[in-house]
Amino acid sequence: MQAPSRVAAVFSEVLSIPPESITDETSPENTPKWDSLNAMNLVVALEGAFNVRLSTKEIVSMRTVGIVRKVLRTKGIEDA
Amino acid sequence: MTEGSSAARAARMKATWRRYNEQVAQHEVEPSLRIGISASFTANSLIPFIGAHLAEAGLKPAIELAPYNQIFQTCLDYKSHFGAGCDVLILLYRLEDIVLEEIMSFLHGDAEAFRRASAKIDTLVSALTSLRDSFTGTVIVNVPPFPATLPVHTLSLENPHGLGTLHRSLATQFLDKVRGIKGVRLFDLDAVQRECGLAGSFDSRQWYLYRQPFTDQFLLEAGTLLGRMVTTTRQPPRKCVVLDCDNTLWGGVVGEDGIAGIELGDEFPGTAYRDFQRLLLYLRQQGVFLALASKNNEADVWEVFEKHSGMLLKREHISAWQINWSQKSENIPKIAKALNIGLDSLVFIDDNPMEIEHMRSAQPEVHSVLLPEDPADILLHIRSLTHFDRFDVTQEDRQRADMMRAEQARETLSSSLTKEDFRRSLELRLDFFSAQPEDLERITQLINKTNQFNLTTIRRTLDEVRHLAKSPHHRIFGLRVSDKFGDYGLTGVVITEISSDHAFWIIDTLLLSCRVLGRGVETSLLAALADEARADRATEFRAAFIPTAKNAAALSFLPDHGFQNVDDNQWRIALSDVPEICSSVTLIRDGKRKSDGS
Repeated sequence: MQAPSRVAAVFSEVLSIPPESITDETSPENTPKWDSLNAMNLVVALEGAFNVRLSTKEIVSMRTVGIVRKVLRTKGIEDA
Repeated sequence: MTEGSSAARAARMKATWRRYNEQVAQHEVEPSLRIGISASFTANSLIPFIGAHLAEAGLKPAIELAPYNQIFQTCLDYKSHFGAGCDVLILLYRLEDIVLEEIMSFLHGDAEAFRRASAKIDTLVSALTSLRDSFTGTVIVNVPPFPATLPVHTLSLENPHGLGTLHRSLATQFLDKVRGIKGVRLFDLDAVQRECGLAGSFDSRQWYLYRQPFTDQFLLEAGTLLGRMVTTTRQPPRKCVVLDCDNTLWGGVVGEDGIAGIELGDEFPGTAYRDFQRLLLYLRQQGVFLALASKNNEADVWEVFEKHSGMLLKREHISAWQINWSQKSENIPKIAKALNIGLDSLVFIDDNPMEIEHMRSAQPEVHSVLLPEDPADILLHIRSLTHFDRFDVTQEDRQRADMMRAEQARETLSSSLTKEDFRRSLELRLDFFSAQPEDLERITQLINKTNQFNLTTIRRTLDEVRHLAKSPHHRIFGLRVSDKFGDYGLTGVVITEISSDHAFWIIDTLLLSCRVLGRGVETSLLAALADEARADRATEFRAAFIPTAKNAAALSFLPDHGFQNVDDNQWRIALSDVPEICSSVTLIRDGKRKSDGS
């Protein structure tokens, strides 16, 4: 098994769920711990981990882990 | 503080809070401190920072949040959100959440709008008053921060119709009125915003998306400060700071560099050590003892204290010391013993990591603090220690260290003189006076806490004492004691009942604080009382000794002064047989009132 990606590590830490359970399809709908409070915590944690700033539009669009990766790629982060 | 370290600290506290909640979920920890938070904005993100601080301080919090923007409802009926078992209520608001329309009208030139905003603040104060009446726990409310989210710029303050003026007026009004409600703690959220800066406080994205206005940095500072306040209501402050000397109070090693070679004074790093000494003097005047634990020749250390012009600390500021070559972990219990405090009341500060490690393993109750390596970091680091936090500094706190020094000076003198010479050299002064209304609180305190030298140990409430003070058949006297080393304050109380024919006085209460016993004070007090009774045409004292488990110290007082036992514990003496005042004592009558000129 390969090491968890950096994005999975952030989600795992903030949501207190195992990193191997996190896929590109992980979303608030299938992950009860991804509630509105943790959504705020995720924004703060992602901005800190990747040293980026997310706009409200980007934050609102981030409905799955896959989309989070895509947003980070637009900011030049390829290995998210 | 750099942003990096603050972000790291925020992440660490969130992790601490997550771990703590896992322990609670698995029943490894049973929360014992119930905290309710009600805020005019989404405050969920604040919880981890308050919670982590409290958990790290050894408290076991359970934090609940009321629905957002219901602080008035919380004040009027806190049980509906938090139930009856709540220990602490924290109320947080921003002006723009409760008086936004009024603020905007005011800025548009409607002067009447100020009055409407002001009336709403008054309503909040009334709600707080009603909460204070119905809730017995700790109440904390914030001073509103400057409204940073409005479409208004504050270029300058000279415009009386500007936002800056409005914020100041409303915040001051709130502050003044809340100060009038006893037992409400005021949390300075505006100061947190100043510390973080407006740009560092407000997160517009979180505000628009989640109605959560603040950055993590702001929440970290606010949560830590709130955590400190709650901790202070639950844990007494540490009483003594024990200091290393070389490279702690000054730069360099006095034993090697000599008094002229150490760094202390107007040039860095001497300036940093001087600022540290200034902080220590501030702690001392808050009631914290200063003590030294140094591996040095004692004479070298005192030479610095007495002769170095850069020293702000003087020898008389130090309440206890162990300057020798023994282990500091062996010396520190001696310091605790000399000050009559527990090891868990001590904070030990040293620049040497080995000393700190050794102390932590040998004396874990002592809180050991490693001084930052860079002298420039000392002030902020030590100032951030929470162990000396206290809300109210009483007169007794301010004088504690001085009183301890006076006591030590007396002991030194007492060991070098005969008993009579010692008494004479103390220049003891007693002020015996009829109790005035302003004395009754202190007198009641003495009545209820004096166990040892207390003839009858009759306890009374303040209301009962006030009642006696008005009774024509009773007299209440107080005694203030001072000597050349210092002032003991009001330390003696006598209450007498006067027989209807004024022929005899019954001593209902006679007590002295044990700090003033044994220097002829007891005899002089009785002599002064006899003068009063004679002036009232009485000829006899009657007294009872009621034994308790603790008042053996007063057992021999009556027979020693010539009282005759008449029955059981009943004693009498003719006023003509009462001993004279001791020659070593100066007695003044009603001294305070005379010196006040009233």
